[in-house]
Amino acid sequence: MIPNVAPAPADSAEPTAAAVLPKALRQSAVKKFSGSKLFASPASVAGVIWLAVLVAASLTAPLWLPYKTEDQDFTAVLSGPTAAHWLGTDELGRDILSRIFASAAGTLGTSMITVMVAVGLGTTLAMLAAAAGDRVETVISRVTEVMMSLPGTVIILAVIGAVGTNIPLIMAILGVLISAGMYRVMLGQAKSLQSQLYVDAAKVDGVSTLGISLRHVLPGLANTIVVQSALIFAVGMLIQAGLAFIGFGPPIPEPSWGGMIQGASQNVYNAPWLMVPTGAVLALTVLSANAIGNALGKAPNATASHLPSAAARRRRAKAVAAIAAAAPAPNDSAKNTLSVCNLSVGVDSDGAGHGVRLVTDVSFDVEPGTVLGLVGESGCGKTMTALSLLGLLPSGVSVTGGQILWNGRNLAAATDKDMEGVRGREVALISQEPMRALDPMFTVGYQLTAAIRRLRGMGRAEAKAEALGLLEKVGIVDAARILKTYPHQISGGMAQRVAIALALSGRPRLLVADEPTTALDVTVQAEILSLLRGLVKDTGMSVVMVTHDLGVVADLCDQVAVMYAGEVVENGRTDSILDNPRHPYTLALLAADPHANHAADMPERLATISGQVPQPKDWPSTCRFAARCQFAGSACMVPVPLLPSGTGDGLVRCVKADELAVEGLDWVATDVPSHHVLNLVEAGTAPAGPAKAPAGLERRTVEKDHA
Amino acid sequence: MALFITKRLLMALATVLVVAVLAFLLVHAMPGSPGAVSLGAGASQEAIAEVNQRLGWNDPLLAQFFTWLGAAVQGDFGISLIDGRSVSADLASRLPVTASLAAGATLLSAVLGIGLGVTAAVRGGMADRVIGGVCGMAVALPAFWIGIIFVYLLAVQSSVFPATGYVPFEASPQDWALSLALPVITLAVGGAAFIARQTRASMLEALQQEHIRTLRATATPTWKILYVHALRYASLPIVAGIALQFIQLFGGSVIAEQLFAMPGLGQAVQNSVSTHDAPSVQGVVVIATVVVVAVNLVLELATKFLDPKLRAS
Ligand code: SF4
Repeated sequence: MIPNVAPAPADSAEPTAAAVLPKALRQSAVKKFSGSKLFASPASVAGVIWLAVLVAASLTAPLWLPYKTEDQDFTAVLSGPTAAHWLGTDELGRDILSRIFASAAGTLGTSMITVMVAVGLGTTLAMLAAAAGDRVETVISRVTEVMMSLPGTVIILAVIGAVGTNIPLIMAILGVLISAGMYRVMLGQAKSLQSQLYVDAAKVDGVSTLGISLRHVLPGLANTIVVQSALIFAVGMLIQAGLAFIGFGPPIPEPSWGGMIQGASQNVYNAPWLMVPTGAVLALTVLSANAIGNALGKAPNATASHLPSAAARRRRAKAVAAIAAAAPAPNDSAKNTLSVCNLSVGVDSDGAGHGVRLVTDVSFDVEPGTVLGLVGESGCGKTMTALSLLGLLPSGVSVTGGQILWNGRNLAAATDKDMEGVRGREVALISQEPMRALDPMFTVGYQLTAAIRRLRGMGRAEAKAEALGLLEKVGIVDAARILKTYPHQISGGMAQRVAIALALSGRPRLLVADEPTTALDVTVQAEILSLLRGLVKDTGMSVVMVTHDLGVVADLCDQVAVMYAGEVVENGRTDSILDNPRHPYTLALLAADPHANHAADMPERLATISGQVPQPKDWPSTCRFAARCQFAGSACMVPVPLLPSGTGDGLVRCVKADELAVEGLDWVATDVPSHHVLNLVEAGTAPAGPAKAPAGLERRTVEKDHA
Repeated sequence: MALFITKRLLMALATVLVVAVLAFLLVHAMPGSPGAVSLGAGASQEAIAEVNQRLGWNDPLLAQFFTWLGAAVQGDFGISLIDGRSVSADLASRLPVTASLAAGATLLSAVLGIGLGVTAAVRGGMADRVIGGVCGMAVALPAFWIGIIFVYLLAVQSSVFPATGYVPFEASPQDWALSLALPVITLAVGGAAFIARQTRASMLEALQQEHIRTLRATATPTWKILYVHALRYASLPIVAGIALQFIQLFGGSVIAEQLFAMPGLGQAVQNSVSTHDAPSVQGVVVIATVVVVAVNLVLELATKFLDPKLRAS
């Protein structure tokens, strides 16, 4: 009967945007209380209104109620709703409506006692545990664990035995029992708030522990406090009603909701109607509190899932059919050649990917046996481009245009079913964090042999032999032992080798590698890169390599596509791009990369690129790099096309590319010079500029000017 | 692992001990001395004092506690002040009732809850919203209200099930099952809703893990990703949720026993609290704690066993 308020399931899922948008966009784990969320959901609005009406009606009850709670109308015993008694009468002819509303204030008020004790105590304990260090935390956690494993109902009843039916006191003790669950919910958050940098700063400044808790930790917990209060309020009401139902409510003639339901249950055979009004009012009140709590907390959301729900798959099949119908039949492309044309990827705002664009008009080709590098900072759409090659975009993100031609098929218009035939067998994936890419619940051997049996149609024994062979091929010496381990038992470098073996298990012709070395130690990085180089040579497969590291590009890639803010800004052969970069962004990346500079011409200061990649929703229609470009001028405030750069078959997206090539300018190690900022601001307002200068761009540069 | 189990066992023992102290103190705070309770109104002061003397009521508190604890450890909780029967014998006959009730309700909640939660997470869309709405209603309606409606619809109107009463398993397995059906269903409504929510959230979290993408990249069929890999990953929090739910349902049996007139522990608590029968209250509190703590311990060990990281260490 006493629910432990355990970490609410509703709080455990990540916010929607997290998987889709760059890290900079992610909201902090701890949210401030926001009233607007309360009114965003119709259910919680209704809840607030109902609670307000109930409280108001109950407090003013003596003024408007048609009957006193004890008035007995012997002419209408156990009546249904009538003009005289809107909600009927009970077995003594007392008016139900009057009794419900007269007892509402008491019920709600005493439930608030539980809330205040539970939340107050739970929060205080959590802040104390977070502030006072591990020893104190261990003690408090042990005590709350004990409290949570108690049969709360039995204890509350024993307390009633000792103190009688003193409802406020009992509700307070109930609050103490519930505070253990509350503490559990709060502890993680309180600890993360306590470890914030500004809290360290405050400590250095000599702010007292109490001051820090009150000033920095408590406000961060506000939203959780409100959410949990609403949920505990509901629990308190239910328990109070339950106690009254079994006879431990207010003294007899006084009405209480639980007692009224008890009375109704005695007459359920001859007057079933009696069950309805009190039950409905109680349920509505509990629902209201829950609705408010749920609206303020984050509901678990399916959109960050790596496996779309059945509903999402149906939607996608429809969208794909539309693309397939609209696009021309793919022309006969050469075997094992990947040709991506004008690929666009967007966030679904309307179920068809027409929300924010994450990738726009990206084109590149990969010849058999060659390696293409997709280069750029985080948030430039490289990973989204790579994942779209396998049809593995996260839920809520989809291809909105263009084609992905592979062996004469357009993968962008393939159904999930069709893609199942392509994934693993023709196109395989290696991801960034090998530890997270392997299933922690199954052994390496199980994962590898299951894939081999599925993709190659082998029997159990044959697959096991193949798994051993594959592990040896990726440079694992004691393959037999590794097969028996779980992913958490092996090192990151070893796990990446296993992940590569897994990717190779279906003998793919194209490998998509999403930053395969970023999460590894430097020495291990080199080993994995040389393993990949060897594999390309041995198997003749092609690779699309996503990376931000130009050293990796120089090491491995034949072709490079530099991406910035969802677009390809420069594209061509690796040697010509590294030796002779034409786009300012490529120049900047090279200047900022210690590995890409040869020792001889290593500059004294490493250049930086000021600012950050803008968020996808802020991408301007002009040159997207303009806000950070050292060479930006008024000529840049127009949409810039991708044009031949003049070196080989290279392409570049910059109006000043030729000019820069002639002048031989370098990206210098300073911030953006002020005159360029002025230039930009002028460009935004000049009549010659584009009719509508992007407001965000203007504001940013002006801010920079002030700084 | 052995260390872990030892630690947990010690914790469990400590929990029971704390509750024993608590129960002892609470009972001593009850109004009325044992003599007064036992002899009822109208008994002479001398008679009351005589009974109190015999029961050791005038001994120092600490001595009383250890006498009681010593007997309790051997399974003797004294005799009831009301009817003079052995508390232990009474509780022993009641425990199976509550145990079948709580176990049945937990089992039904788990089966229903996991089914609904997985369906909501996997199907999404309309199915998700409908299940979410039903679960929201189910946790908002008090169990006793739902129980009365069940009695009215299933027992009174269609007389499929007996409305009240309990038939021991030894008497007739079939009637035993029928007599448990309504109370178990009543308790399981809220329990299933809770577990469904927990399952949905855990499944969604599992599907957000990056290894799901690896599985898709190696052409793992969808059913296998969902029901082998994701469910396996989600099983840890789900089992933890079921453990929590058992504690609640064990407590909830107080209501179900009252509603369906079942002679279980819940009824014993209620009666002994109403009549200030000190030995019975103490006994039932301790027994209830032992059961809940023991079941929790088993489920917690099961959770640890499900996690390869902990199993290996
Ligand atoms: S178009 Fe202008 S702003 Fe854009 S990269 Fe070229 S020079 Fe820089």
